[in-house]
Amino acid sequence: MERIPGSGVRSGNCRDNKQEISVEIFQIGEEIRRLMTENLLQEAPRPETGSSFTALLGLPENQAMELLNSPESYDSPAILTADIWRERGKDQKTLSYPFNCSPTFPSNAALVERAARFSIFAAAQNSPQTSSVPSNSSENSLKLKNETTDSESNPTILNKNQISLKRKERQKKGLAKKSKNMGDESSKLPYVHVRARRGHATDSHSLAERARREKINARMKLLQELVPGCSKISGTALVLDEIINHVQSLQREVEFLSMRLAAVNSRIDFNLDSLLAAESGSLTDGNFPGMVMPSMWPDVPVNGTRRQQHHNQHQQLWHVDVGRDNHNFISQPNSLFSYDSTN
Amino acid sequence: MAVHRLSLNPSSYKTRFTQRFLRALMKINKNKNRSSTSSSFQEIRRGRRRIKIAADGSMASAVGSKRAWSRAMLYKLRTRTRHQAWVRKISTAAKRKRDVGNKPEEELSRTDDLRRLVPGGEAMDFCSLLEETAHYIKCLTTQAHVMQSIADFYST
Repeated sequence: MERIPGSGVRSGNCRDNKQEISVEIFQIGEEIRRLMTENLLQEAPRPETGSSFTALLGLPENQAMELLNSPESYDSPAILTADIWRERGKDQKTLSYPFNCSPTFPSNAALVERAARFSIFAAAQNSPQTSSVPSNSSENSLKLKNETTDSESNPTILNKNQISLKRKERQKKGLAKKSKNMGDESSKLPYVHVRARRGHATDSHSLAERARREKINARMKLLQELVPGCSKISGTALVLDEIINHVQSLQREVEFLSMRLAAVNSRIDFNLDSLLAAESGSLTDGNFPGMVMPSMWPDVPVNGTRRQQHHNQHQQLWHVDVGRDNHNFISQPNSLFSYDSTN
Repeated sequence: MAVHRLSLNPSSYKTRFTQRFLRALMKINKNKNRSSTSSSFQEIRRGRRRIKIAADGSMASAVGSKRAWSRAMLYKLRTRTRHQAWVRKISTAAKRKRDVGNKPEEELSRTDDLRRLVPGGEAMDFCSLLEETAHYIKCLTTQAHVMQSIADFYST
């Protein structure tokens, strides 16, 4: 609970309504905390994070969603508190709803993401917590399933589930765009958090399919950037064709170059130090084709060398006239400069 | 010269590849100088193959074991001499199995083409195949550039 006041500060970048509502959520969170300590959910294992949103997730699904829906639909917080009071008035057993609808787990994950985004968790702490919370929330919901024995509360429960489904759809509509942020996180997490979109199927198989498709699409986009002339082409098959052609041409080029080197090899006098100096000059000044390095590979600092290239090319222009006269092996570096300026 | 040496990144793929490749070229050159330089076609072909293997090997070892394609390429290079016949046998058996199998051969299997091109691509799912292809393309362009500059340097 101590992290909730931070939410008011962090959601300053959101609209003001959200700020007020986050304060309301603080109060609602206290309510829920009290509710939870009263009823059967005590024996549920407390997740180690122990923050307010995991407490929320321990709650029945629709209640938590009502709470989190408030900033989305801009319902008056008063209505929410009224709902909470209504819930409190019921029999305690009704709080353990049968989770017979399949979207339990994805929506719980959706709630986790919403909670994470709603800035209760610090940004740096997102990954460990969001990974720990889904496992715990699924445990909690399973325990709730097992504990349900009440049958007379079922009709009311079913109504609530229908309402909750509608609210869920509204929630998903606004949250679809966050799947991209979650996609960045999922590269570090063991869990892949997938967002169910409005109007799409919500069972786990299609969600997994969609996650896989999104991964493939992201990688195809990267490849399109790498291969020159591929960004205009639309359609996976043609892009794949281009990629295959490009790889083949690169391999052929390497083969031709090795043939050329084999022919030249006899004339080589190897002086490694001067060679390395010369090579460093040629390599930093050489022109690389427009390679856009994806951020996925931070270990290859090609961007750094490209910046150096721009810097060095200015220096090169001065060397052009000087280097042209020295076309012998003695002044190797100069000849290299002149060579690269002609490229 | 000192400026350029400082601006060179000591741990990029480019420098690592260059160093290894040059070392391999030196070794090849030494061997060539020791033996007689005959200009028969077989000798030329063998020499060319040796340089290509040196280039691929130095590229793969510059990448290290971080990538699946580099691991596959290193494995292929290391077991190349002893198990050439064995690999050929395995590949023909696999080809025969594929012809007998249910998959129709007429459909354009671009994925299979890509798998054949990228080393180690046979045993990967499509998603990681795309990732490996991207990294492989990047390293191939690096390799081509370095070799081009070396060839240009020595052909002046």
